[in-house]
Amino acid sequence: MSNLIKSEWFKLTKDQSFRVLTLLLISVAVLFPLLEFDNTDTGLPTVSEYHLNNVLGIHTDIIKLIPSILAGFFITSEYSMGTMKSIVSSGNSRGRIYFAKLSMFSVGAVILSLLLPLFMTGASTVYFGFAGMPDLAFYLQTSGLIALYGAAFASIMAIFATIFSDSGKTIGFLLFMFLLVDWPLQVLAAKVSFLEPIINHSVFRLIYDIVNISQLDGKEVFIMVLIPVITFITSGIIGSYIFHKKEIK
Amino acid sequence: MNEYVLKTNDLSKKYKDNLAVSKVNLSIKQGDIYGFIGQNGAGKSTLIRLICGLAKPTNGSVELFGQSSESDLIQARKRIGTIIEGPALYPNMTAAENLEAHRLLKGIPGKDCVEKTLTLVGLQETRKKKAKNFSLGMKQRLGIAIALLGDPEFLILDEPINGLDPMGVVEIRGLLKKLNQEHGITILISSHILSELHLLATHYGIIHNGKLIEQLSLKELNKKCQQYLHIKVNAPNKAAAVIESHLKTKNFEVMPDGAIKLFDFLDAPGEISQTLTSQNLIIEEFMPMGEDLESYFSTRVKGVPHE
Repeated sequence: MSNLIKSEWFKLTKDQSFRVLTLLLISVAVLFPLLEFDNTDTGLPTVSEYHLNNVLGIHTDIIKLIPSILAGFFITSEYSMGTMKSIVSSGNSRGRIYFAKLSMFSVGAVILSLLLPLFMTGASTVYFGFAGMPDLAFYLQTSGLIALYGAAFASIMAIFATIFSDSGKTIGFLLFMFLLVDWPLQVLAAKVSFLEPIINHSVFRLIYDIVNISQLDGKEVFIMVLIPVITFITSGIIGSYIFHKKEIK
Repeated sequence: MNEYVLKTNDLSKKYKDNLAVSKVNLSIKQGDIYGFIGQNGAGKSTLIRLICGLAKPTNGSVELFGQSSESDLIQARKRIGTIIEGPALYPNMTAAENLEAHRLLKGIPGKDCVEKTLTLVGLQETRKKKAKNFSLGMKQRLGIAIALLGDPEFLILDEPINGLDPMGVVEIRGLLKKLNQEHGITILISSHILSELHLLATHYGIIHNGKLIEQLSLKELNKKCQQYLHIKVNAPNKAAAVIESHLKTKNFEVMPDGAIKLFDFLDAPGEISQTLTSQNLIIEEFMPMGEDLESYFSTRVKGVPHE
């Protein structure tokens, strides 16, 4: 397994889409807070306010959308380039191959998800001053949950990236799905009563509670942590099953 | 030690109503260079994909290094190197990085093998060039380099000389022969360039409509493709005796239809006709004949019915 992980990590670090997305997010994180200097009416925000309103305000889209692009290039392109054929015939079981791929894709997705909390908060600290810093516990809790939900969504993306054999289709489908999924889930929860608790306790809904973590009680925090873990394991098993059955062309 | 590197037992693969591979019993011995011949869509790539574990058989089994259970086959595949339907490369990585990714995948210790393999296929000068900027021939070489990583005992090469220039073809042929003769690597190679296969392979398998219609050694093929004089006379048995006694050769065959295949005296047809007529034999047909691999292949697949 370790050789597969090493190989996937090597490929992730050489992946152009990962490099471009990383640079893009770091650029946005560093440059975006500068816009606050144009906002002369209300003055500069504190780092804490900026973290809450801007960094955590857009993290759901970052977690769901940006790694979708990586999924297309890092996973699906292995099929279109034909490299999956040499991976599968290399003498490793398909289960190991899938979980190595999923692990490193999740690492990539987590890195991309954490770039804004890290660099945007860092840059805003430099720009707005060290007074009014966010509470360290809150900062670590939200960052930890962002990483956890990043991995959970990555495991869902990996399923579809395994089903498709064309990067464009994977990216298009995932972007479309994650942009629109909230609305049908909301309707489904309202119409089908037994699905309501399931949907309300899914990563699709709980991700919006990351920003409210300081207001949740112990049981709710436990659920917030448990659900993405279960999602990751379940999606991993489903994806591995699909990969096991998939004919590599 | 198992004599056979690869055996398939009644191996079949069906896609909906299409039987892509039908009850194939293929066997490759250690040290063979097995040329796999078939038209487009004959089932060559499907069979190779079944052997490599990319597709699952509908019926039958694959035996690799004597192993046939699913978990043992996975382990056995560590001992093979492959190019399946073109070289599998990461276009944005350099040649050396492509090899490094595969070295890590195969768990080969030490980075020395990367340089060694690049040198072996003649790509040491372009090690830092990205694969997407390679010519087709260079991509094929890099594909072969990847297949050679980890010193495999068995190479499965699907169309490895496609796109190579004439010099490249000669070099790759030389390389494969060297690997086979000096390192004892068994090779399964499929190619459309039959004349090239004829210069390389020691054994042949002809696949048509998903069926393995013939397996033969180079010796057998040469015998079948051998140039000969086709002679038909009014009394074949007498002619055979005349050839043996007067021309002092036993290198001929009397076919069931009475025709004689004479493998000697190809450059002296006048002498033969004179000898036969001097013994009052009437020559009905007399012509030089013979086949190359291409014509033998087309003769073999002609008339094989579609399922």
